[in-house]
Amino acid sequence: MAEEEKGFKKRLQKFTGKALKATIKGVLFYGIYFVLSMFLAPISEMVPGFQQTIEIFVMVYIVLMVIGELTGGTIFQYFFNAAKALFVILYLIFSLKGGIVGMTIQNVNLIADLRLFLAVAMLLGLLGFAKSVFQAINFLNEKAEHVHI
Amino acid sequence: MRIPIRMISLATTFFWLFLIVFFVSAVYSVKDVRFEFGEPQMGLTSDNKMLFSLPITIDNRGYYNIGSFKLTTEISDKEGFMIAQGSTLIPLIEKRRETVATHNMTIDINDLIQDSQDYLFNDMKLEVRETVGMELVEVIPVQVQTNLSVHWGAPLYNFTLGEIEYTAFNITHMTITVPIIFENHAFFDLTDNIQIHMYNSTNALLGESQTAIEAPQNAPYQEYVEINVSTVAITETGYFKLYFSTPFFNFGPLVFPYG
Repeated sequence: MAEEEKGFKKRLQKFTGKALKATIKGVLFYGIYFVLSMFLAPISEMVPGFQQTIEIFVMVYIVLMVIGELTGGTIFQYFFNAAKALFVILYLIFSLKGGIVGMTIQNVNLIADLRLFLAVAMLLGLLGFAKSVFQAINFLNEKAEHVHI
Repeated sequence: MRIPIRMISLATTFFWLFLIVFFVSAVYSVKDVRFEFGEPQMGLTSDNKMLFSLPITIDNRGYYNIGSFKLTTEISDKEGFMIAQGSTLIPLIEKRRETVATHNMTIDINDLIQDSQDYLFNDMKLEVRETVGMELVEVIPVQVQTNLSVHWGAPLYNFTLGEIEYTAFNITHMTITVPIIFENHAFFDLTDNIQIHMYNSTNALLGESQTAIEAPQNAPYQEYVEINVSTVAITETGYFKLYFSTPFFNFGPLVFPYG
């Protein structure tokens, strides 16, 4: 009974630690977004929907990050990290419309070619995805090494 | 395997930070770029074409250079026929500097008249397509395009010859007074030399005269031209042939019947 209680306390302590880490990471990430959004304010005023697009991205990213942290120490952490990397790639492709962003303000058409930015971001996203796969393999490897036959 | 994973993590974080900071600073930098267009000026080229000059001032107070700045103007009529085109390229706009350039465009009114005489006698709408292309931070191509509709004012709007007056000059000749009436709707003052030839019904040249006119823009014009013709040769009907000669265009003959 006492051992069971001790085990529960340990798990609770571990979970609290993870939750704290996830909260700090989430707040830090939101803080970075908040600072950067001030610099992006001129473009937000010009482009309708830009702010919303960024906010949705930040929201989903933080949710995936928090879930990833909460599932730390399990294989699911790497699944969520991989999902996060794939989400970044896909969201960038869809929100940047393949790299050619166009908009019309009154009678003025503006076209920005962001393909280079998108390509670099996609490569970094793929690198993040590869990292998560490696981490998952490494995690399974380490688990396998600890099994006593 | 931990070390390679850590290295990938470090590299990814570094490049993400670099990319985000670079992109955000590039966007932020754009707000400190100011474009100013001066008063358009009009002149004449050595080959008698109309020259439009638009001074452009680009004050780049941003953090990065702007590359390949290109301003293109295309003017076409309502059918899409290209009347004039001009482009100005500034290869590099350096950061923290003011760059001044002049966007020039030439219009050959003689070419326009060959396409349609309406440009001389009727006001119309012209389509102007302005395109500005540039490379922000020298790597992000951006293009801004707008279509405008501008008014073309005819230099000889409503051109007509008024009621002809006949006055005896001597026994053999008489003086014909022909009123010339029009409105200069063009955006330039018209300094014109009009030659007028008078023919009778048998296509015989009765007489000719010429007059210099000065019609300021957006003002009506009415003056008289006098021709001495032989009394014997004159017929009840006939026609006038008019030839126009200005610094911007030469045109003629314009035929007006009389009688």
